[in-house]
Amino acid sequence: MRQLLLLAALLFGGAAQADFDYHLQPRQVAEGTWLLEGSTDNFARENGGDIVNTGFIETDDGVVVIDSGPSRRYGEALRKVIGETTGKPVKLLLLTHHHPDHVLGNQAFADVPIAALAGTRRLLEEQGDDLAENMYRLVGDWMRGTEVVLPTQTLEAGTLDVGGHRLRLLALSGHTGADLAILDENTGVLFAGDIVFYQRALTTPGTPGLEVWLGDLDTLQRLPWTLIVPGHGPVARDAAPFDQMRDYLGWLDALMRKGVEEGADMNELIRAPIPPRFAAISLSRYELVRSVSHLYPRYEQRGLSKVSIEPGEPHAQ
Amino acid sequence: MQRRSVLLGLLGLPLLASAVEGDPLPSVMWDYHHQRLLNNEPFVFDERVKVSVPPFAEDSRQVPVEIDARALPGRFSRMLLWAELNPIPRVFSLRASAELVPLLAIRIRVEQATPIRAALLGEDGVWHVGSAWIDAAGGGCTAPSVVRAQPGWEERLGQVLGRSFARRDNNRLRVQISHPMDNGLVGGIPEFYLDRAELRSTTGEVLASFELFPAISENPTLTMEVRGHPHTVLWLHDNNGNEFEAGL
Repeated sequence: MRQLLLLAALLFGGAAQADFDYHLQPRQVAEGTWLLEGSTDNFARENGGDIVNTGFIETDDGVVVIDSGPSRRYGEALRKVIGETTGKPVKLLLLTHHHPDHVLGNQAFADVPIAALAGTRRLLEEQGDDLAENMYRLVGDWMRGTEVVLPTQTLEAGTLDVGGHRLRLLALSGHTGADLAILDENTGVLFAGDIVFYQRALTTPGTPGLEVWLGDLDTLQRLPWTLIVPGHGPVARDAAPFDQMRDYLGWLDALMRKGVEEGADMNELIRAPIPPRFAAISLSRYELVRSVSHLYPRYEQRGLSKVSIEPGEPHAQ
Repeated sequence: MQRRSVLLGLLGLPLLASAVEGDPLPSVMWDYHHQRLLNNEPFVFDERVKVSVPPFAEDSRQVPVEIDARALPGRFSRMLLWAELNPIPRVFSLRASAELVPLLAIRIRVEQATPIRAALLGEDGVWHVGSAWIDAAGGGCTAPSVVRAQPGWEERLGQVLGRSFARRDNNRLRVQISHPMDNGLVGGIPEFYLDRAELRSTTGEVLASFELFPAISENPTLTMEVRGHPHTVLWLHDNNGNEFEAGL
């Protein structure tokens, strides 16, 4: 059996993944502010789950980290580049929401406070193990040793003063039900978390509804930001990510409303043409399949009415 | 693919290439189901029977399947749907009147990645088989019920939500029935599912008669189309003897 496993390893094991190195390259996007920009692809063995944007802010009192990445290995690599870049200890880790690509690097920060909204902690407690298990299935050995670590501090909307930086915390809900966005009032950098996807199709498991999400976008856009760091995709200095989000959410909503009115079942919507203006958005077909599965049942419920005949009632004609 | 075949050959496993000639899918279960479900009767893999599923199951408890065999000439008398690798493969078995259009959608549970098959018995006495493959993380058949976790589900048992849509000369019907469709595979919960359904005209003529199985998702969602018949009645029966009716 061992020889067969060895043979299998030789046949299928690619040398490319042998080092499991994320090659994290922090890029300075504002004074004392660095971004680690992930790919806009899906989770894959080729990227180790590094499809997410994480960041860190150097303050007088240590470093504030925003999201810990998809795996223990990523978290450890992130911690290492933070030390190399700033020479300062980590003061605090903020989690934008409970999704695995944002929180499964927490183990590397277990010795510092890990802070999140109460809802994020609850959702991670409920779903974390299943989400982590699915990540093992999707990216394999990159996940080795990864376990869920829950937040140790609860955040509320308001401001947080850390080492001379005034961080405005926004408690939103459009993406997962508990979504934190952080505006650094010193630099104007808005860490929007997954309320904003840019050039990468948004994901909808757990959204309380697209109208809630649209409201959150309004809230964020009104803030005095100078740079938007989306949860996924490139940063922007203009409102383009907001415009794209509204356009895409509006299209998704209209597609499903129309589907209900025309009596479409899910597969008809999954096949629907994707407007050419979304051609540059990565994974829009894939995420349409997912979003229809997540959301269409709610639209159907609103579009169907009770047709039961109670016993004794005459049949409807 | 070739390397994989070599390796599987070394392990003494059957090759995953199509086991039966003409089968568009790598299936090891075709013969078994052909014998059990189609009685070893003549069949043909037929692209005119289009089975649509998403490329992967986002929710293994609610996988949408659409069967469209409108390209098949002549009428059909029976339609079967099954998921080959499910612990409960059968989804439904349907006897159709001439008024039922061979276009139907339903949501099912899948326990793992599996071929999905729809077979229609044509006037030629041959089963025309359409196929699709769904990838899945799995667990849809053994996952805890969502319905049973909702307060008041018992009061809504058998409640039918629905709507009809005029489509040229046809009438499309969409219904969702409140029922847990318990399949007996979740610990401590015995089988409790809708096992029969009939779509009838207002004068009582049977347009479609279904035998149903608990591979169907909880709160079953069904879409079908009839020629003419702007008004119909749906009759439902579960394995505990409950009967429900809806007017569409």
